[in-house]
Amino acid sequence: MNRLPAILFKISLAAILAFITLPLLVVIAASVSPTPAVTFRPSDWTLGWYAALWDSRWLDPFLLSVKLAATVSVASGVLGALGAYSVAYAKCPGHTAIMSFLLSPMAVPQIVKGVAIVLFLSSAGFFNLLGTPGLVVAHIVLTLPFVVRMAATAMFNFDKRLDRAARILGARPAQRIRYVLLPLIRSGLFSGMTFAFILSFNNIPISVFLVKPGQTTLPITVINHLEYSLDPVLAAVNVASLLFILGAIILFEKIGGFSAQFHGGSK
Amino acid sequence: MAVIAFSTLQSPARRVLSVKTFLPLLAPSIVLTLFFAVPMGMMIGISFQSLDGGAPTLASYSRFVKDGLVLAGLGRTVVMSGLVAVCVTVLAYPLAYYLARSTSRWRTVVLALAIAPELAGVVLRTYGWLIILDDRGFINSALMWVGVIFEPLPLSKNLFGVVVGLTHVILPFGVLSLLTSLQGISPNLERSAQILGASRLAVIRHIVLPLSVPGIISSLLVGFTMAASAYATPALLGGAGFKVMATMVYEQVLFYLDWPFAAVMANVLLILMVGVAFIGSRLESRLNQKLHL
Repeated sequence: MNRLPAILFKISLAAILAFITLPLLVVIAASVSPTPAVTFRPSDWTLGWYAALWDSRWLDPFLLSVKLAATVSVASGVLGALGAYSVAYAKCPGHTAIMSFLLSPMAVPQIVKGVAIVLFLSSAGFFNLLGTPGLVVAHIVLTLPFVVRMAATAMFNFDKRLDRAARILGARPAQRIRYVLLPLIRSGLFSGMTFAFILSFNNIPISVFLVKPGQTTLPITVINHLEYSLDPVLAAVNVASLLFILGAIILFEKIGGFSAQFHGGSK
Repeated sequence: MAVIAFSTLQSPARRVLSVKTFLPLLAPSIVLTLFFAVPMGMMIGISFQSLDGGAPTLASYSRFVKDGLVLAGLGRTVVMSGLVAVCVTVLAYPLAYYLARSTSRWRTVVLALAIAPELAGVVLRTYGWLIILDDRGFINSALMWVGVIFEPLPLSKNLFGVVVGLTHVILPFGVLSLLTSLQGISPNLERSAQILGASRLAVIRHIVLPLSVPGIISSLLVGFTMAASAYATPALLGGAGFKVMATMVYEQVLFYLDWPFAAVMANVLLILMVGVAFIGSRLESRLNQKLHL
């Protein structure tokens, strides 16, 4: 008597998972489909669309997106670590209010942040900052709160007795930060920076206001094309950039070891 | 001796320390002030600007209230976001419940499948839905080939397509907010109800659902706010046939160059989101208090 709900539950789970994976599978299928009209004959497939990616039409926006994401991730990492240090570690006076200020951009929808920044740059006479410089600062505003939050969590959890032990043993402040604090908050900081990288690399709602011809990010280039056609080369672009993101995550994990914090948690 | 020296040193040292604790804040604060706080303030200021450069005016706001096209866009945004919030929560609930309770080895697989699409970015997933839902897409060409239909079904460039696409994009966030809440419910409550003879459905209906109401609210909230501010999915799956606030703001800024009006629209969107988030979080904390008394 109790079996039926359990079976129904499993069926609904399978259906939801199918819903989640379907569009991804479809894009992968489209990227190896030989005809521009997406067909699903498994017999003939091609990697020709991937070969077509080696073209400045796609390479230039890709390189811009990579440089942008890397710059933003490093800048937000440094700024976020500094902010988190004051707020969560040194507990400066008024640290709760300052923390809310540092996190405040999260409360504003991305598209509104995008409008605000583009209106600011245009009406304050910084037209020449549109394009790459504008993208960098806007993406820093977008990602900084996430880095601050993750780095601050790591610093809240930091055992201050370790710092005291180092001080008693004669370590100077710079040494205590370099050899005690940083190694212990590294995984939190790196997960924030990885998140910043992904957020910047995939961003649309802010970038869409700031790109200009010749300085366009990859996702914006793709949506500009998508409005006119379902060209399979776009599927190849999407799959390739997903593979790139996965590669970047593995690389960040190798450098920063951020998954340690998921294993070293409460379990 | 050393102890005395230490304690007399302490108070000036403290004062130096408290100034020092502010120093690292300088860089992030300057960046956020210059490129977030000032632009936000400026955007609000611009919304009161008159086009001929005169005194501050509410003209753009009154134009907003009278503009039928824009109001229709606002209405579409609210309806779409509400539907997405409900769809996300309904689909996320079984997943989150499974993830909170299962101990099987499939759990990791389900978790990966539920969260990983987030890495793929919005464009890839929206593109997938375009291939599936387009007039010449997967579903329509299959149905026409079989001969069930002769005209393509209107699956994209409308409310349906946008809700499907956004539900897919936002689902992982719904799962995460429900998961936190469901993990907080002790499995012992469910076990004891079952021992006392309650059926599985009764356990869900009378124990799990009521206790997870805060999670349901936060999932609805995430669904609504993320949908209302989404840009790419409505732009691609809705297109010119289904314009929402986000896509209309974009047009105002880049095509019509009507900055005061664009600022008004952005402010309205912001007020809508902050309002919904505020009401939702009040509701959530009130319910949490009730549940934990």
